[in-house]
Amino acid sequence: MVRIVVPAVWTPQGRTHFEGTSGPLDEVIGDFATRHPQFARRLLDADGKPLRYLNICLDDDMIPRHQRADATVGPDTVITIISPMAGG
Amino acid sequence: MLDWLEAADQPLPLLWFADETPQVTAVVAPFRIDRFPVTVGEYARFVRDTGYRTDAERRGFGLVYTEQGWEERAGVTWRAPGGPGTESRDFDDHPVVHVSWNDATEFAAWRGKRLPTEAEWEFAARGPDFRIWPWGDAWDVGAANTAELHAGPLTSLSAWQQWWRTECARHGPVPRTSPVGSFSGRGDSPFGCADMAGNVYEWTATLSRLYDDTVRCDPTVRMAMGRYRVIRGGSWMNFRYQVRCSERMHGDPQGWSSFAHGFRCAADA
Repeated sequence: MVRIVVPAVWTPQGRTHFEGTSGPLDEVIGDFATRHPQFARRLLDADGKPLRYLNICLDDDMIPRHQRADATVGPDTVITIISPMAGG
Repeated sequence: MLDWLEAADQPLPLLWFADETPQVTAVVAPFRIDRFPVTVGEYARFVRDTGYRTDAERRGFGLVYTEQGWEERAGVTWRAPGGPGTESRDFDDHPVVHVSWNDATEFAAWRGKRLPTEAEWEFAARGPDFRIWPWGDAWDVGAANTAELHAGPLTSLSAWQQWWRTECARHGPVPRTSPVGSFSGRGDSPFGCADMAGNVYEWTATLSRLYDDTVRCDPTVRMAMGRYRVIRGGSWMNFRYQVRCSERMHGDPQGWSSFAHGFRCAADA
């Protein structure tokens, strides 16, 4: 099962872990935003593309921005979305 | 500190603050640190002398917080902190913003200085004794440039968003920085350093690490460890709880900057 991890401050309850899907990374993020529309403005730009300033890790690897379009999420992957400013 | 935060009327989850625990002891060699953050006027001299172009200038956009949230906006730079048309000499004595970690490091080297380490920054902010804010343990809204100075007491994210929506509708996403040293006296640290609470977030030289790897903290903050650089001091955007001397934030050093991020310089003594 794919898991998507977001900052605790993104929900009033402090929830951090959500279920995701496998496939091309951009599509996985888009699908996540569709299923959780409260996150859409934090994840997608006005054209519906993943925001460039976010950092994304697949398991322990941070995916360089220029490689994101070609990145694929496999089954059992943990996707961590890191804001450019974390904590505090 | 976490117990105090839990009892306080603040909206952020404790998990978000856990990276500042446990309390640890650090030893720093003698050092000098600037009283003020680097100003727009000082940065302009650096650019004139060197021809330096910031990361935001090279990529063509900068990050501002609009009524819809963070937005990558074309033409936003340290010269035009709210975007084209917001250039003003009125900002010359304000802290420079839209500077990435690299932009800050390059400036410091030009001045023959460096960025402070996280431990140096905190020592300069509170001295050898623990205190919540640079001036002491009692909140003083008139001692620092925070969102509460502009909006009044804030205890929820929705109240903050309402204030900012109103501000944006009136003035656009222009930073609410203040001239450096505006709160001196009342807001200075024990060593006389100004603007160490609020005004602008400040980059440090320190690579982000947890004080204790076993601490339970936000999982996205944990993933930033070893990748981001420590940011201190909070900014004009923050509540009182985010401008505490021990508060830690972590910033992406790969060219990212925003309209609330600046820095000050330090040097070996």
